[in-house]
Amino acid sequence: MSAMDVMIHSSSFLLPCDETSTGTRYALVVLNQSLPRFTPLLWEHAKLRLCADGGANRIYDELPLFFPNEDALAIRNRSNFLKLYKPDVIKGDMDSIRRDVLDFYINLGTKVIDESHDQDTTDLDKCILYIRHSTLNQETSGLQILATGALGGRFDHEAGNLNVLYRYPDTRIVLLSDDCLIQLLPKTHRHEIHIQSSLEGPHCGLIPIGTPSAKTTTSGLQWDLSNTEMRFGGLISTSNLVKEEKITVESDSDLLWTISIKKTGLSIQDHTP
Amino acid sequence: MDSIRRDVLDFYINLGTKVIDESHDQDTTDLDKCILYIRHSTLNQETSGLQILATGALGGRFDHEAGNLNVLYRYPDTRIVLLSDDCLIQLLPKTHRHEIHIQSSLEGPHCGLIPIGTPSAKTTTSGLQWDLSNTEMRFGGLISTSNLVKEEKITVESDSDLLWTISIKKTGLSIQDHTP
Repeated sequence: MSAMDVMIHSSSFLLPCDETSTGTRYALVVLNQSLPRFTPLLWEHAKLRLCADGGANRIYDELPLFFPNEDALAIRNRSNFLKLYKPDVIKGDMDSIRRDVLDFYINLGTKVIDESHDQDTTDLDKCILYIRHSTLNQETSGLQILATGALGGRFDHEAGNLNVLYRYPDTRIVLLSDDCLIQLLPKTHRHEIHIQSSLEGPHCGLIPIGTPSAKTTTSGLQWDLSNTEMRFGGLISTSNLVKEEKITVESDSDLLWTISIKKTGLSIQDHTP
Repeated sequence: MDSIRRDVLDFYINLGTKVIDESHDQDTTDLDKCILYIRHSTLNQETSGLQILATGALGGRFDHEAGNLNVLYRYPDTRIVLLSDDCLIQLLPKTHRHEIHIQSSLEGPHCGLIPIGTPSAKTTTSGLQWDLSNTEMRFGGLISTSNLVKEEKITVESDSDLLWTISIKKTGLSIQDHTP
């Protein structure tokens, strides 16, 4: 019987706000790739919203596109609409954000933190550090950081963002795209993953990025592992399927858990009465 | 054959394209199956200079992407390049010293060296903005991302299989750029 603590995972941030348990508080980081279609839902869940540099361009350009019925695109209404989605902070090296976008949010009162002097850390890194030092983190132990735009694009950027998960194993960070989510499962804990089967799955995987795993054991998957070795160059668990509503994972190595996000059920149109 | 549309399949069957249905084999990825086909083909036997170019291996579901990166690690003796609009990725096997000749009008300057599967105790490079010198790289610590190519020839030597990635320039490669 393992003496390790259990870490419980649930994609409550994909549920409508009124259905979410009150235990977890969310912070949102928007990076510079196309916004996933459920970004307005994440925005609503989050108590602290940051744009990393060019992520501000994405909010400015793309968020109104999710609300075609509200005439958010009409120029006279656009700026009023965008005021409803004002980031608390824009942080990063400021080499991607457009001048007109920056001026717009400065005028709205968004805090802008220029970190162009610091070339050693990625934009996501800088935002994670900001959130960890903020009052949101001190108030609550149930903080979870949601990040969009960390995947796709340049592979070195993506790898750097995956590395942020490994460098802050005690901070709950979820990387989200239209297609999937990724979370770190630290080796220090046994993991229980509660599946929201109307919103995520069934495609999933466990990826030993960084270090091979000598022994991983799971339950609840189509192809469970049983003290199985996983390594790049050999077996890694991809194109697996969730079979039950609760998945358990225990490993000697830090793993990335990834699960697909369903195409239906998360866009604005699905929730408009 | 669970993604190809029926009308598309019929069109190519009619053109004479060979269709090989592997739906019975769920253990290997689509890219894997194609690599095996190419390795067994006459193209591979005719020449020692074979290089396999793959598009569409990145982005989308992350487990698919990881499975495709794993194909590079599982066939270290086969030259495979993964390509997207933004970048390319290649394996640099630890068994060799590597010289990378940069086509600077078409690729770069953004690049990286990523120890995806195993940490590297010692990697040494030349030609990069931030060169490594018997430097340790690992997930959880330092990995080389947002690096820049500084010279036209990059060298890499490592105790670990690394992924080399370099950005592909936005201009100079589209059809419009080549139409007289």
